[in-house]
Amino acid sequence: MTAKATVQRKPDFRHQSLKALETLALLLIIAFIALPIVWLAITAIKPQEKAYSTSLVFTPTLENFEIIFSDTSVIINEGTERERGEVGRDMLPNVVNSVVVSGATILIAIPLATLAAYAFSRYQFLGNRALLIWILTTQFIPAIVVAIPFFTLFRTVEVFGKPLLGSQLGLIIVNMSIVLPYAIWMIKGFVDALPGEIEEAAYVDGCNDFQILFFISLPLIRPGVLVASVFAFIMSWNEFLFALIIGREMRTMQVALMTTSGARGIMWEQMAAAGLVVMIPIFFLAMFIRKNVVDGLTMGAVK
Amino acid sequence: MRKKRWVPWVLVAPALIVIILTTIYPLLAALYFSFHKYSLRKPPIFAIQIGENGIHIDWSLLSLNNYSLAFSDPRFINSLQVTFWFTVISVALSVVIGLFIAVVVQKGGMLHTLAKVLLIFPFAVSPALKGYSWRFMLNENYGIYDLIIDSLIVKPVNALLSILNALPLIEIPLLSESIVWLGDKFWALFMLAMSETWGWAPLIALMFVGALGSIDEQIFEAARIDGANRLQIFFRVTLPLLRPVILIVTMLKTIFSLKMFDQVVTMTGGGPVRATQTINYYIHQMGFVRSLDIGYASAMSYILVVVLTICAALYVSLVLNRD
Repeated sequence: MTAKATVQRKPDFRHQSLKALETLALLLIIAFIALPIVWLAITAIKPQEKAYSTSLVFTPTLENFEIIFSDTSVIINEGTERERGEVGRDMLPNVVNSVVVSGATILIAIPLATLAAYAFSRYQFLGNRALLIWILTTQFIPAIVVAIPFFTLFRTVEVFGKPLLGSQLGLIIVNMSIVLPYAIWMIKGFVDALPGEIEEAAYVDGCNDFQILFFISLPLIRPGVLVASVFAFIMSWNEFLFALIIGREMRTMQVALMTTSGARGIMWEQMAAAGLVVMIPIFFLAMFIRKNVVDGLTMGAVK
Repeated sequence: MRKKRWVPWVLVAPALIVIILTTIYPLLAALYFSFHKYSLRKPPIFAIQIGENGIHIDWSLLSLNNYSLAFSDPRFINSLQVTFWFTVISVALSVVIGLFIAVVVQKGGMLHTLAKVLLIFPFAVSPALKGYSWRFMLNENYGIYDLIIDSLIVKPVNALLSILNALPLIEIPLLSESIVWLGDKFWALFMLAMSETWGWAPLIALMFVGALGSIDEQIFEAARIDGANRLQIFFRVTLPLLRPVILIVTMLKTIFSLKMFDQVVTMTGGGPVRATQTINYYIHQMGFVRSLDIGYASAMSYILVVVLTICAALYVSLVLNRD
């Protein structure tokens, strides 16, 4: 009896300590992932005098958001002792730039990608597989190589009397190079998953290719197209290199983050507030497409 | 099936034209620029000129000078080394930590689920913002990471070391409590790679979680019945089964690491003393910030293109040979 009990206790103890180790590992993982985001959020609502410390004792304030969105010329808290960051950052135009560029990018890219993805999925045509793989490899072209010739080209090209360099349109054009390949692969995955019988039946009933595409297949893959749109939106929203080189003075929010630095370095509480503005919409979008992000990033290579 | 042969081409053409214009055109143009002396300060003179009497090519304007300049430029060589080490550290850490996370969070349970939901969060944080937030948190005076590293690692280790040093055996120097993380050549590069790891390890974990989920549970069951312990199961069963996915993910991450740019700008600005100047950053500096030398920038980016083409070929063969 006693012998049996000791035999049992030993693995039990091991089991317990393994469990504890696992819980510890989980907590570490959670802290590792969450800390930078939580800290950014905390800093964004800290009053300026507390932002430059690790103190957690403070009265939450929306002051920082006020500063980044108020007009550049308006001086806030005039006459107080504050020296840093009295000046508004006027970031509303930057938010508009980000929304317009990312929105227009998907409005152009997604319809093109949907048609192409449908063709790649449903038709056998000369070189379709090679073409598809070639599209996959375009994501490996370093963005700087795309940026250099477009920079020199856009310096000389004018649209409606404005140079393309530093315009929303210019940035939308170069964004195509990163968004389209991903969108095609992603949507193709959704079309592949759709059984072809319905389309076959429609074909037998006398529908032509385009009727089938627009009235039968497209409505069915709409959820997939939506997911790809969200993914593409996140990609162009978070894009930085093109925004820096091609966008120039037309700053998107990513580039506008850099404007939170002043004569005395970066004003972290403002950067954190601007960071939250950049991050929060993408948070919800990312949660929405959570299950598809991996397929998107790897273009379906890891399944 | 459906017969009309021109239909797929009509569907593919618009997207294909846009992809060709936004990738093939710049690739060709950058190659062409790379053979020229081309500064943004004055209008370039190109070798191929289209005049009234047809196309004229002035061969004397073409040269490989930009390429030979690159390989004799110590700062370019430095950027190659920086990129190499950044890639090695960030890929190794991302894949290993990603694998660890995946194995830990894989099972059911409340904390597991919470961690699994969190895995997507870093994807929402743009690389530029990632750079800034890490720079803020690593600040030696008020950074939360600095505080955590000092109080959870440096102080306990030092306490242990001083006990050891009290014994008249050996003298081990204590760890420094006042490291300026982004002011130190080694730590700046390491922390840059850590910020990249923070963004990627969770995503890679998600990839592995998917792959682990598709492994038949009976395989693990069989190993357990055969008396294998957890470590044995991990190294003898899980790892070999995940091998193809690990290879693909490693290659993919290598490619992304080689192209890394955003965080260098927002986190270290290439410093201290060029210790974190990756290729992309140096190209950007030479082309758009300092020299405004488009020819040289193009040549250097072409060297990067060659490296990435090799990686891309490897990646594609890995993906295609998987099944």
